[in-house]
Amino acid sequence: MSTDAEGELAIETEGDIVATRHTVREVALALGFGITDVTRIVTAASELARNVYKYGGGGIVRWRRLGSRERSGIELQFIDQGPGIPDISKALEAGYSTGQGLGLGLPAARRLMDELEIRSDPGQGTCVTLTKWRAH
Amino acid sequence: MANGKQASVTTPVPRVPTGEAELLQLLIDNVTDYAITMLDPKGIVITWSSGGERLKGWKADEIIGQHFSRFYPPEDVAKGKTDHELRVAAQNGRLEDEGWRVRKDGSRFWANVVLTCLRTNNGEIRGFGKITRDLSERREAEEKIRKQTQEILEMAAVPVVQVWEGIVLVPLIGTLDSQRTQQLMERVLNRVTETNSPVALLDITGVPSIDTQTAQHLIETTAAVRLLGAEVILTGVRPAIAQTLVHLGIDLSSVTTRSSLSAGLRMALEALKLRVVPAPVGA
Amino acid sequence: MGPETLSVIKIKEILVVTLPSDPDDSTVAALQEKVLVEMERHQAKGVVLDVSAVETLDSFFARTVTETAQMIGVMGGRTIVVGMRPAVAITTTQIGLALGSIETALTVDRALDRVMLASSTTLESFQ
Repeated sequence: MSTDAEGELAIETEGDIVATRHTVREVALALGFGITDVTRIVTAASELARNVYKYGGGGIVRWRRLGSRERSGIELQFIDQGPGIPDISKALEAGYSTGQGLGLGLPAARRLMDELEIRSDPGQGTCVTLTKWRAH
Repeated sequence: MANGKQASVTTPVPRVPTGEAELLQLLIDNVTDYAITMLDPKGIVITWSSGGERLKGWKADEIIGQHFSRFYPPEDVAKGKTDHELRVAAQNGRLEDEGWRVRKDGSRFWANVVLTCLRTNNGEIRGFGKITRDLSERREAEEKIRKQTQEILEMAAVPVVQVWEGIVLVPLIGTLDSQRTQQLMERVLNRVTETNSPVALLDITGVPSIDTQTAQHLIETTAAVRLLGAEVILTGVRPAIAQTLVHLGIDLSSVTTRSSLSAGLRMALEALKLRVVPAPVGA
Repeated sequence: MGPETLSVIKIKEILVVTLPSDPDDSTVAALQEKVLVEMERHQAKGVVLDVSAVETLDSFFARTVTETAQMIGVMGGRTIVVGMRPAVAITTTQIGLALGSIETALTVDRALDRVMLASSTTLESFQ
């Protein structure tokens, strides 16, 4: 499974957060990331998966191996059809909580990954894309 | 191996006086880095050597009489690679190729092969000389050197030394960019964990200048080491650095600092409840 | 030890709690409950949290650990976190979670020494 180029996992139950961590760990290790980077990637994935489960009303995570001759990478996409994030820049500030408790998840993920992109609108759901690279 | 008196069949050179033929055979037998083989015009193996046995695994009586496509991966044989090679060698006099070859046990190795077409005086093809060299060892050796060089560079970039039981020292030289900080944090923390050292001395005597980013990195490293259960002492904080830090408004209150490495070392020893005392006279 | 199993051992008046490598959120929450209950049951002076098996410490887990330490403090106990993995420490620091002012030690032995040494002088410090 970890040697596939891409995959998808449902995040519908609390157990799926653990499953996400497990799968992401396998993929990151297979891509050759060192243990510290693997820990960063898995931690970021855990934060986002919890957001999807707790505040997004459930959703999915899509993972994808990226690569060229010079570098390899992992791309994670967390998608839900939940209430959306009203103020994205505020959500990225450390410690911010919408009252729905997004808290530290997004700022943490942003610090740990190389790239983070959010598409979200109230009533439109949320899609967060995380990327981390490893030079060869 | 055919006896040495069959000079014109076993030597790779067509016309050679008999006495030297034995010497040449001796040479071929003793060269182990290369597999030197003779093929007949159709590609059948007619001579073998110790180099061939060492490289490809076949003993002489197992391989003489077989076609040289035995040495090629099945996909190459299917493509007609061996016929093609003989044709080109016959046409051009020689052919040089680098590619995968197969040993007796089925394992593959990367090889450099030179096929030389051997003709009699009237132009008839007498056979082919084949010299095979195993490049995989060279490749592995190159890879090993590359890795070792990288390790040495990494260690030189962030040397971590255990100066005493329980004290780890990191003498930093040069500036600290993000990448070096990553290496620093990983190496220091791993060493602290491996050796259960409660004190890590980060010595910045060799760091020429300090900017906000470097200071942040040092603070981060200190915080991480603390999470492990050890303490950091930042040593070698020279007056110029101290001035810069204050001017930049960097808050180092969470970090213990000392102006010299020896002062830091003394503090580390105290923390471990150790004291350095003069040895008794005459000891 | 499975990824979910939590173990609690009592050594003298100290609880040594070994955390599992990858607990789900419910287990993390239950951990807090269990530690406090055990602490009361044994009248423990302190709790040593062994995190050497923990592979991922995200903000939820870290927050629970910090809160638990605070609650132990309110109950008059001391908390020491032991054996954090380098990769976890680096990640936690990068997020800025540094677990507040929580105490840490390199090994369970040292943590036990520290708590026991302190408790033997506790009364003196009040005089």
